[in-house]
Amino acid sequence: MTATPTVAAPARRSAGGAIVLEQELRDLWLGGRALVLCSGFSMLLSVLAYLVATNRALNFLEQRETVNLTLQVAVAVGALLALLTAADAISGERERGTLESLLLTPISKRALTVGKLVAAISLWLGAYAVTIPYVWFLGRGVGVAVNALAVGAVVGTLLAVFLASLGILISTFSSSNRVSLSLGLFLLLALFAPTQLPSSAVQGWAGELLLRLNPLTAGEHYIGKLVVDGHAWSDDASWLLSPAISAALLFAVAVAAGSRFARLHGGQFG
Amino acid sequence: MTDRARLRAGLVVLLVLLVTAGRASAAAGELTVSVDRTTVRATLGRTFLIRSTITNHGAAPASGLIAHLDVLSLRRGVYVDPEDWSSRRTRYLAPIPAGSSTTSTWQLHAVNAGRLGVYVAVLPRRETPTAPITASTVSVTVAGRRTLSSGGILPLALGIPAALGLLALSSRLVRCRPRRSASSSRKGARS
Repeated sequence: MTATPTVAAPARRSAGGAIVLEQELRDLWLGGRALVLCSGFSMLLSVLAYLVATNRALNFLEQRETVNLTLQVAVAVGALLALLTAADAISGERERGTLESLLLTPISKRALTVGKLVAAISLWLGAYAVTIPYVWFLGRGVGVAVNALAVGAVVGTLLAVFLASLGILISTFSSSNRVSLSLGLFLLLALFAPTQLPSSAVQGWAGELLLRLNPLTAGEHYIGKLVVDGHAWSDDASWLLSPAISAALLFAVAVAAGSRFARLHGGQFG
Repeated sequence: MTDRARLRAGLVVLLVLLVTAGRASAAAGELTVSVDRTTVRATLGRTFLIRSTITNHGAAPASGLIAHLDVLSLRRGVYVDPEDWSSRRTRYLAPIPAGSSTTSTWQLHAVNAGRLGVYVAVLPRRETPTAPITASTVSVTVAGRRTLSSGGILPLALGIPAALGLLALSSRLVRCRPRRSASSSRKGARS
């Protein structure tokens, strides 16, 4: 982001968040970085959609299962894109040497953090827009497309807010971009690990508690219940508690941490 | 202990064993297993339910029973993995009081097309080997269907990444153009 040090009026501080957001969105979308990421994301969804639509071995299953599979991959990878963008936000500026001029502008650190956070979340919105035609194509025959897209938007947005906040938090305290990105990816893999456990390992109260507490597994479980089992939105609403609470809590923590600890020298994490 | 006393004790033990075994086999013979239907027509990918009822006709409660569901193809050459059809195929039943019955509901997912047989067997949790009690086989006919039309996926799968790639490329070109024109005008001014 390019700095505008000439602006000194205190009134600009209140509008600082909007200015940062506008500049970040411009850099991200018009600069082409977000489009390249979305293009890669669409390639992944294309391969997946082509496989489930044409491969008989995958195609024998219920059509709802294919919609669920595509939507879950889209939500997970879309949220990952938001995390990667957020993990670069502060530590990236620090490493490129642009954070100093940014901190000198009459924009509060809080506005800076919020602007960067919302810009990172916009990447999920772009990924979601890319997902719409795939889910529509796969789900149109069984009438689950609208419901699947709606639940994907809700769960995906909650997870994107949660992961982008996590990314900003890591980025604020990391000394280098490499540390920030690798720590972000490590945490993401750790959160995804329970999805690879055999079903017998997550049975019982302890297993269910683990799935419910983890926002990623809880969100994906909720999507599956609505899309595959055809449950009503209210039937399994308790599974949305963890993603919603985590998103709200981490957003607040990330903004508070960014407001206080976004400094020229990071390093609290390494 | 004299030989006669030993013989008497041995006979008592033998009698006790025979009576216990007799009771056990009688308990097994007094159980019946039935299913709520004998034919099912399903479509590939759909789920359906089968209910089995185990009735204890004896005078004593029946305990330590295990109900198990199995699936097999009635035609040669079709590989069937029962695990794919039902994730909970073994149930450890609670004791059934005399004259009572218990019903188990089995959810099955039609994973293979063709003619298949599904049956429920009940066996006691005893160490002595006994034959399982089975209900009549449920004949399941699963109609095959293509769950998804692949028509139209190729333009979508190729078109969206191509469009986004072009968009990314054009935005990069637009960003590069002012810099190039600015540097060329600077060169012109120097010369």
